[in-house]
Amino acid sequence: MSGGIARGRLAEERKAWRKNHPHGFVARPDSGPDGSMNLMIWQCTLPGKVGTDWEGGFFPLAIHFSEDYPSKPPKCKFPAGFFHPNVYPSGTVCLSILNEDSGWRPAITVKQILVGIQELLDQPNPADPAQTEAYQLFIQDPEEYKRRVKLQAKNYPPPV
Amino acid sequence: MSAMADKEAIENAKVLMVGAGGIGCELLKTLVLTGFKHIHVIDMDTIEVSNLNRQFLFRKRHVGQSKAQVAREAVLRFRPDVDIVAHHANVKSPQFGVGYFQQFNLVLNGLDNLDARRHVNRLCLAADVPLVESGTTGYLGQVTVHMKGTTECYECQPKPAPKTYPVCTITSTPSKPVHCIVWAKDLPFLKLFGDKSLSNDLDVRSSGADSSVEQEEASFFDVQDGESSKAYAARVFDRLFGQNIDIALKNEGAWKERRKPTPLYLDSIWTSEEKYDERADHGSENGHENGSVQEEKPKDDGAALSAMTGLGLKNPQEIWSVKDNARVFLETVRLFLDNRKEELGRLTFDKDDQLAVEFVTAAANLRANSFGIPMQTMFDVKGIAGNIIHAIATTNAIVAGLIVLEALKLLGKDRGASRMTYCLEHASRKLLLMPCEMDVPNPKCYVCSQTPLVLEVNTKTVTLRDVVNKIARKKLGASFPTIMQGYNVLCETGDDIDKHSAAIYEAKLDTKLDALTPVPLVNGVEITIEDLQQEFSCIVHVKHREDFSEEEDDQMRLGGLELLTATTTVVAKDTDVALKATVDVHAASLDEDLVMIDGENAPVVKRKLEERQEPSQKRLKT
Repeated sequence: MSGGIARGRLAEERKAWRKNHPHGFVARPDSGPDGSMNLMIWQCTLPGKVGTDWEGGFFPLAIHFSEDYPSKPPKCKFPAGFFHPNVYPSGTVCLSILNEDSGWRPAITVKQILVGIQELLDQPNPADPAQTEAYQLFIQDPEEYKRRVKLQAKNYPPPV
Repeated sequence: MSAMADKEAIENAKVLMVGAGGIGCELLKTLVLTGFKHIHVIDMDTIEVSNLNRQFLFRKRHVGQSKAQVAREAVLRFRPDVDIVAHHANVKSPQFGVGYFQQFNLVLNGLDNLDARRHVNRLCLAADVPLVESGTTGYLGQVTVHMKGTTECYECQPKPAPKTYPVCTITSTPSKPVHCIVWAKDLPFLKLFGDKSLSNDLDVRSSGADSSVEQEEASFFDVQDGESSKAYAARVFDRLFGQNIDIALKNEGAWKERRKPTPLYLDSIWTSEEKYDERADHGSENGHENGSVQEEKPKDDGAALSAMTGLGLKNPQEIWSVKDNARVFLETVRLFLDNRKEELGRLTFDKDDQLAVEFVTAAANLRANSFGIPMQTMFDVKGIAGNIIHAIATTNAIVAGLIVLEALKLLGKDRGASRMTYCLEHASRKLLLMPCEMDVPNPKCYVCSQTPLVLEVNTKTVTLRDVVNKIARKKLGASFPTIMQGYNVLCETGDDIDKHSAAIYEAKLDTKLDALTPVPLVNGVEITIEDLQQEFSCIVHVKHREDFSEEEDDQMRLGGLELLTATTTVVAKDTDVALKATVDVHAASLDEDLVMIDGENAPVVKRKLEERQEPSQKRLKT
């Protein structure tokens, strides 16, 4: 059963997270419509970094693991239409460490992924755009880009 | 002595002592006098008056304070240069995780309960720190040494669960004093003063009776409108000891082979003159006693109330007459109703609650009398009802000494020298201390060898909550269980779980196993039960079964453990093993003023030891 490895690793990731995780971050197994909790999808919240335009926002992110995890990376998704140069219109995050062909290594932990994405928020990679709107504003109209980022942060207030 | 640690090794060693009670006080003293310099002490308890006779680091002025802290201060007074860190905390709390345990060279246990012992055992395995485990029960004591991979772990041999009695013996056919005491404590006491809504195994299951009867049964123990507490007490008396026995007698089949019980009604107890006196007596006594009680005691000090003092019964070691028992019964009921009203509905039996012990004594004796069973003194009832064996300071001191000897051997790195040692009450082959070699780890141990277990369970009736509480917590000793089936997380517990997830888990707990989604827990499904902090994990195979006997009313049986149990009941071939089997009965209990053991086991153990002794004495003569 190939799922054994993924399952074992996810259980370990879950344990490691419960024992210790960065402040302000949330990551929990997804609850399906039937109330079941599944380790294959994690629902996370990552806080915008303090001192950046992203501060004050608590951005929801879903991590989808596959049976091939950890030899293949999980897919990380913000809500569709998330405003960021490296996020596809579907919400999928484009980041080297999440790319099987470039930066992904099986040893990368959920914590590293979440912290990596938090870094990416304020430090987009213009060499690898995934959506036109945010990319063009970022390149051509930094003021408007800044305004949109702050607006988006406001739209994701801290979870109660 | 070459196996022992040298002075330097002792001074550099860092040890964790769990428990600062009877064994702990002796142990801490012996440790510092041996030269240990770095000691952490964990104990969640505070000092009680009843500890002072043997927990000699404590004085009366310390009552109510932390055992760990007071023990530390007391020892620092005669060994000021020792570094002792005291934690007034539960060893099961998350701050004492694997990382915390790893800083120690040794862990030394002086605990008083099975739960904490299992928890420490798992942390020691996870942190790979040797554990010296100990316990005493009266004259009996034991010290064992647990090294991961080398000797058996604390849980390699299953510990016997406290004895339970068949329900029908308690409700219908008692034959020993203990049956009556269990009845008094679990049935009338809870019905009258406890939470009436709690379902009780001992509810009279009048099979076939219509629901109106059950209704009547349920409301019978409520105080009626305008009913005085005395009238209530009398009504309940006649019901418990009169009518209920009369009803039981109608089932003639039950009494063919047994002595028939005699119903006891209040009217039959007093002569007509006494009846009159009794009333007069009570009238005046009431006024008088209420007054004096309020004068002497703060009003909320309910535990100090006593019916026997008011009735002139001074000696707790004397067996009361039937009449006195009846008077105590009536008076305790009255006092509970009149003076401890605010506690009614939520009382549970507590061996230190004077009035509760008096009530249970009287109720148990009245029942015993009906069934022709010898009555007991209040002192004895308290012991049996509270599962008490009185602790002996000397045993604790001996055991603490043995713990330090084992600690020195472990630090001396001659692990082959480790022994488990039993203290006996009567010499066997002229020895009171029996050293034996530790067994190797049990390859079938589900704790240290991760052997899968089999859970036979009626998946149609048992809920996830039952599995979490009765299997994961109680049977497997997980403090904060996580249960998973494949990728599905069925349950996570612990303070770190966010409210959102906690609510989702909670919502599923009362679902029957075969109705769980997305994967029902039915025959053939495999789950893992884990505890994050203990780094404990075991695989459990679910096996559906419906034909559970009435005694297995949980509709569950955790198997794999039975295989292990069998090994301890094998007929012993030599004395050491036999003694081990008997003394292990107490492994669950440990020094306390009063040790929790099963009331029935105490005499059994004693008898076994005596039996053993005779042959060994013969051997000596020949």
